[in-house]
Amino acid sequence: MKTTAKLLSILFLFMLIFSFTLEDEGDRLVGVWEPSNGRARVKVEKIGNKYYGKIVWLKEPTDPVTQKPKVDKNNPDASMQNVPIKGYRLLKDFVYSGKNEWTEGTIYDPENGSTYSCIITIKDKNTLDIRGYIGVKALGRTDVWKRLEIKK
Amino acid sequence: MKYFILLLFFFIGSALFAQTDSTQKVEEEEDYSAYENVTSSDGQNKSFCNPKIFDLSPARFISIAWDHQLPYDIKLSKPGFYPKDSSNVVPYETANVNSTSGIRLFANIPVISSNKFLWQLGLNYWNMKYVFSENTTPTPNAGLIQQLQNDGLTTMGLHSTVYKPLNDKQFILMQVSADLSGNYTFSNIQDLKYTKYSASILWGKRPNDRKQWAVGLTRTYRVGQLNFLPIVLYNWTAPNRKWGTEILFPARVHVRKNFNARSLVMAGYELEGQSYRIGGVTLPVDKELELRRGELRLRLEYQRQLMGFIWGTIQAGYRFNYSYNADYTEKDGSDFFRGFVGTQEYAMINKLGGAPYFNIGIHLVSP
Repeated sequence: MKTTAKLLSILFLFMLIFSFTLEDEGDRLVGVWEPSNGRARVKVEKIGNKYYGKIVWLKEPTDPVTQKPKVDKNNPDASMQNVPIKGYRLLKDFVYSGKNEWTEGTIYDPENGSTYSCIITIKDKNTLDIRGYIGVKALGRTDVWKRLEIKK
Repeated sequence: MKYFILLLFFFIGSALFAQTDSTQKVEEEEDYSAYENVTSSDGQNKSFCNPKIFDLSPARFISIAWDHQLPYDIKLSKPGFYPKDSSNVVPYETANVNSTSGIRLFANIPVISSNKFLWQLGLNYWNMKYVFSENTTPTPNAGLIQQLQNDGLTTMGLHSTVYKPLNDKQFILMQVSADLSGNYTFSNIQDLKYTKYSASILWGKRPNDRKQWAVGLTRTYRVGQLNFLPIVLYNWTAPNRKWGTEILFPARVHVRKNFNARSLVMAGYELEGQSYRIGGVTLPVDKELELRRGELRLRLEYQRQLMGFIWGTIQAGYRFNYSYNADYTEKDGSDFFRGFVGTQEYAMINKLGGAPYFNIGIHLVSP
């Protein structure tokens, strides 16, 4: 009985350590990132056990036609078309799956109102490969995002 | 045992704590001004220009379309030797074509797709079936009309496109195609020695998100015969993002009107054509016959999202004939260059009437 309890304790301890390690590794995604086009900055944060990224800066924050802050006018959901782009969550529901990859998430493109399946891979601590795709990974496009530091 | 119970409590407790944290997370008011002053974490901030600009018609992964030309007349000369400037050639075969129609399949799959390098491989399949009116009588000897009536024209090809950004403003675009065109069928595919190769290379700039231009050279069969031409790419979107151009001159020129992110209309023209090796025609020499089909299509095209990443297109316009002449080529499949100034004789001087046409398609578009 005692031996079984010890074994179970060790097992739980391993699970605990493993879950904390995975969690720490997953948190490498947290931070501020810039897509390759330099048109936006995205802050990735962890909510619960998932990762989300929202737009916190826009190179051109004003709509040239309305002269007002840009809104999500291309969203297929009409009720969302007046939501400001700044603050919009374009990365949603990412889960760290190990092997430097975050999966199960989606990426939204405000330029055309489309949401794509997405896989995020960290290449080094300051570089992400963001691959948006349709159905299968082969039908997609990869963008490289760089980590930014906020100047104090 | 007590260690196990303690660990169990700790484990469940930490799990519950994590759960509580996730549900009670409150969206805090964000100070966005904090993100204006930033620096690259690794000191590198090299960016590369994107192959797209705002509001371009969507690029396609997979495309299936039906193309249909309405009635027109066709006048073909007898295979012989005709100087380039022959104007009054007596028709040997004449016919009314009730319709020319066929399927157009196209797939373009990214092999490497990153912001530093884009390489796409694709394939295409086109066929054109000719339906002649009932009073058409093919010539006793095997003529071109007979061959068109039997098998129509088919093109199958492979193509490769490379987009290489040099920095945040300049890029190089290269395209290579290999097409097998002729009056063959799947059960009797043409010898690969008749493959026609096309290639283009462009260097260009993308000064901002609304404009890209490039200049280059192409080796093309687009107007039927082999040609080497300078080309100009000019894609532009107006500041109000309602209008734009999509130009690859001289191959196609379009003005674009964007209604919203999910629908647009384009007006303009496209030069279309290919060189087809035609088997089965009786010739006065021991050579091959190459039909040089080239046409100008003036058109209006409406594109819209149907659902998700599926788009539909409907195109209508008028097809003007540019070339339907034929040449003799060598048995080994080699071709020759006449261009606009060459004086080589034609094997056939043919005339096609113009025809209204329409094209409907469905497409899987790319991110």
